[in-house]
Amino acid sequence: MIALRALADGFRAVGRSWGLPVLLLVVNLLTAAVLAVPLAGEMERSLAKSRSAHGMLYGFDFPWWSHWHDTRSGHSAAFGPDLFGVGFAFKNAELLLQGYLPLGLFADPPADGDDPPIDPLTLGLGGAYLLVQVFLAGGVLSALRGTQGAWTTRGLWHGSGFYFGRFFRITLVTLALVALVFLVNAPLARWVEHRAREAVSERTAMAWLLGRHALLLFALLGVHLVASYARVVTVLEERSSALLAVVSSLTFCLRHPLRTAGQLALVGLAALALLAVWHGLDTAWGTTGYKTQIVTLLLAQGLMFGRIALRVGLAAGQLALYRRLSAS
Amino acid sequence: MRTAAALTVLTAGLLASVPPPTADTPAAAPSILPPLPEAGGRPEVPAQSPRNASYTMKARLDPGAHTIEGTLVLEWRNVADVPLQTFPFHLYWNAFRNNLSTSARGEGRRAARARAGERGFGYVQVRSVRLARGEGAETDLTTTMRYVSPDDGNPDDRTVMEVTAPAPVPSGGTARFAIDWSARIPYGDVGRAGWVHDYHFIAQWFPKIGVYGKGGWNAHQFHPWTEFFADYGVYDVSLTLPRGFVVGATGTLRSRSENPDGSETLRFVEEDVHDFAWTASRRFREMTARFAEPGYPPVDIRLLVQPEREHLSERYLEATKIALRSYGTWSVPYPYGHVTVVDPAWSSASGGMEYPTLFTGGASVWAPPALQSPESVTIHEAGHQFWYGLVATNEFEEAWLDEGLNSYHEEKAAQLALGPVGWAKRYFGLTTPTRGRRGGWPVVAPGVWIGRGENDLSALREQGQTDVMARPAWHYLNPTSYTLNSYGKPALSFQTLEGLLGEEIMTRVLRTYARRHLYGHPTTADFIAVVNEVTGSDYGWFFDQTWFSSDLCDYAVSASNEPQRRPEGFVEAADGRLLLAERPREEETDPGRAVDGEVVVRRLGGVRLPVEVLVEFADGRTATASWDGKDRWTRLRYPGSRVTRALVDPAGKIALDVNPSNNSWVDEQGVARRAARKWTLRYLLWLQHLLELHTVAM
Repeated sequence: MIALRALADGFRAVGRSWGLPVLLLVVNLLTAAVLAVPLAGEMERSLAKSRSAHGMLYGFDFPWWSHWHDTRSGHSAAFGPDLFGVGFAFKNAELLLQGYLPLGLFADPPADGDDPPIDPLTLGLGGAYLLVQVFLAGGVLSALRGTQGAWTTRGLWHGSGFYFGRFFRITLVTLALVALVFLVNAPLARWVEHRAREAVSERTAMAWLLGRHALLLFALLGVHLVASYARVVTVLEERSSALLAVVSSLTFCLRHPLRTAGQLALVGLAALALLAVWHGLDTAWGTTGYKTQIVTLLLAQGLMFGRIALRVGLAAGQLALYRRLSAS
Repeated sequence: MRTAAALTVLTAGLLASVPPPTADTPAAAPSILPPLPEAGGRPEVPAQSPRNASYTMKARLDPGAHTIEGTLVLEWRNVADVPLQTFPFHLYWNAFRNNLSTSARGEGRRAARARAGERGFGYVQVRSVRLARGEGAETDLTTTMRYVSPDDGNPDDRTVMEVTAPAPVPSGGTARFAIDWSARIPYGDVGRAGWVHDYHFIAQWFPKIGVYGKGGWNAHQFHPWTEFFADYGVYDVSLTLPRGFVVGATGTLRSRSENPDGSETLRFVEEDVHDFAWTASRRFREMTARFAEPGYPPVDIRLLVQPEREHLSERYLEATKIALRSYGTWSVPYPYGHVTVVDPAWSSASGGMEYPTLFTGGASVWAPPALQSPESVTIHEAGHQFWYGLVATNEFEEAWLDEGLNSYHEEKAAQLALGPVGWAKRYFGLTTPTRGRRGGWPVVAPGVWIGRGENDLSALREQGQTDVMARPAWHYLNPTSYTLNSYGKPALSFQTLEGLLGEEIMTRVLRTYARRHLYGHPTTADFIAVVNEVTGSDYGWFFDQTWFSSDLCDYAVSASNEPQRRPEGFVEAADGRLLLAERPREEETDPGRAVDGEVVVRRLGGVRLPVEVLVEFADGRTATASWDGKDRWTRLRYPGSRVTRALVDPAGKIALDVNPSNNSWVDEQGVARRAARKWTLRYLLWLQHLLELHTVAM
């Protein structure tokens, strides 16, 4: 119950500071627009004066896309049907579990003749975004630390700058832990794939494969949890050593595994519920004209806002939980 | 003729009744296709095959040791017009004997691989060959056995064996070969045959004589991606194996007897087939159905399905019926009365293969209907009962004749019966070095539907210029080129031919071809001859441009509307004097000013095919034009008319066109921008989500 109450406190804090997730959403949207805007221009030039434009406006012109995809390289080649519906979430989850996030640091090189599943420019943009989020995390946490919940731009910048060095070091430690996870995962993955290949039944094989991916996801979320509390510890206790903050965080998480992981699981479930809502809306809603496009854009941004708000709410909930448990 | 016309009307009606797909739903599909009325004008169907290579075999399977001990008696008749003294036999499993075989030296998912470990090796070892002719005593030919490598001279390849008789067998004469052999079954994750756990799929497993034709023996080695070729006969096969196995085989089960040693013997017999395959597993679930529709001979369908895919049984069975119905309409009715469908075991590579009266399908346990799996592979392999089973073309030398024709019919049948296929990506499946990703959770893209032939265009663009299509299968540069030139390109060529001839004439061509060459070995020349005969024209130019060429086909159209010119400069006055005419300034922006329309059609690829051009004007008029496509471009002028739309190949007849999206020009502003923005939103959302996911690494 403590964890739940802390999480509720966290979301109340976000409610009071709703501008924070809005700000983060704007950062997210503007970063993504760096690649999306040129893509729109490229696509428009390709469709101009062609009957395929009608096909793409009122449906999906597969021959046009097929030709487009075959003649593209770089970030625009990523546009395809795998992004539609909830496909984008699966694609991203696979990229994460293949070690492509961030910067392709933990991914195996693609087999001969195969293109990597994501281009370097997109990876680079992701790396830059990660850096910006590391920077902003200090400001966000210091803003949420206050019990009144009021935040100012000046306070955000100050907190961001003040904690950036420490949070950056925590991120480096986190990346080292993620590397360790992938290192351990490699032989495990080979063993599981062997078991899957040798399975008598396809269901058994799929259970092995999905189980392995789920295990890896849990391990990565575990590292994320420790890193999150390391930032909380740093902000609440003004720690200067990233390594010690991580150790303290690890100790805290191990001491309260159900509460800390429970909060994360609840937020994760809420994120899945958001995705399900998006899926329902997306399949019921056709996008054609400018008005429907604006509605779709707003719905999509609503989804992203929800997701970012969940992240910020979780951070605030972690702050509250750490405070309560440390005080008791 | 009347029958064909009626068929066309029916089929056209069915096509017309299929509404176009919308963003969220595929086209509704008619449940039945028209039956085949038997009426005059077509070649008579022969009562039986030549039966010049008939086998009586006895084989014992040891499923623990994965071995087969076999004996066979081959009744062979010399149908050549020359006496023959040497006789080649295929020993396909020797491709898996070691890493030196021609198959093991090759590439592709079917190439025998040494790295599969000891269990990956397999062989056929002939112990003895004896020859009996007439009533005389047997002659032992074992000492004359030698391995030959007619295709590449590889001295280590053991996939073709040759024996020499003491005296030639005269034309029309018969010979009886008695062969004893032992075989070790390779592990089944690479080859079409093999074992995984207790699932045994046994194909290309016995010493099989080559085919004599075109002045020589046709007995090619086993290459990494080639298929097979054999003569027709009667197969009488007795299989002995431990009790408890569910067995499926070519033919019908004639008897089943239990042996004192705990084994049982099953005897299968089939007439007028050119191969025999079988499978055995304790895990099979057995389902049956009957195809009985007016105008078609009834067929008993037996499905042997893996337990975890039992829920796909109805889809397997229905797809088989679709094939029997549609191929029966478009070629000849299926005559055997039974067919066995095998759902292969997980990790077996035996899926998606055809054998007489038996074929293997393939699907994942998670099989959303939009993906038409297992339907598409089932229709394809069931379709091979016609194009391969009944019309036995040479898969080594002219793979496009059966695979291409079959792919063309498969896509047509699936489109008619099931509508367009959806698009999906599978996640978290098994990644294999040679067979891509297997299994995994399918995520279907909403609103994405792939029309007939559209999925073949990408490979044609990428690999179309690698090889001329019409060449022996093992001569293609790589497996990708083989796949394109045996499946995708010929299917698109047949679809294009259908577009040019019309469906009625195309159906007459295929019916004539199937009936004339039923139980025969027709060649490409035979097919072209039928096209020429039915159409009454020489269509050699079409095949020169497509089958005998590696050029691509790509037409494009553009249009422009220029304001009509008003006199400017010196013009003659009524009295013949030259006057200086000046253009009024306001004319430049006069919206009502007449324009001259111009359409330019270009041939970007090397393939020259005749095309139609449809032009629409602002006043609602339309104009059509035909262009022979021989030059690189043609210009069509329409003085005084504003062109609003220009379409080259408006009916989409040229399925081979590698870029259909440049076949149109539309005078519209804003649509492209709206479409681009619509889809960029999807990209944007993906990217935003991806960026946000980076925070997991914080």
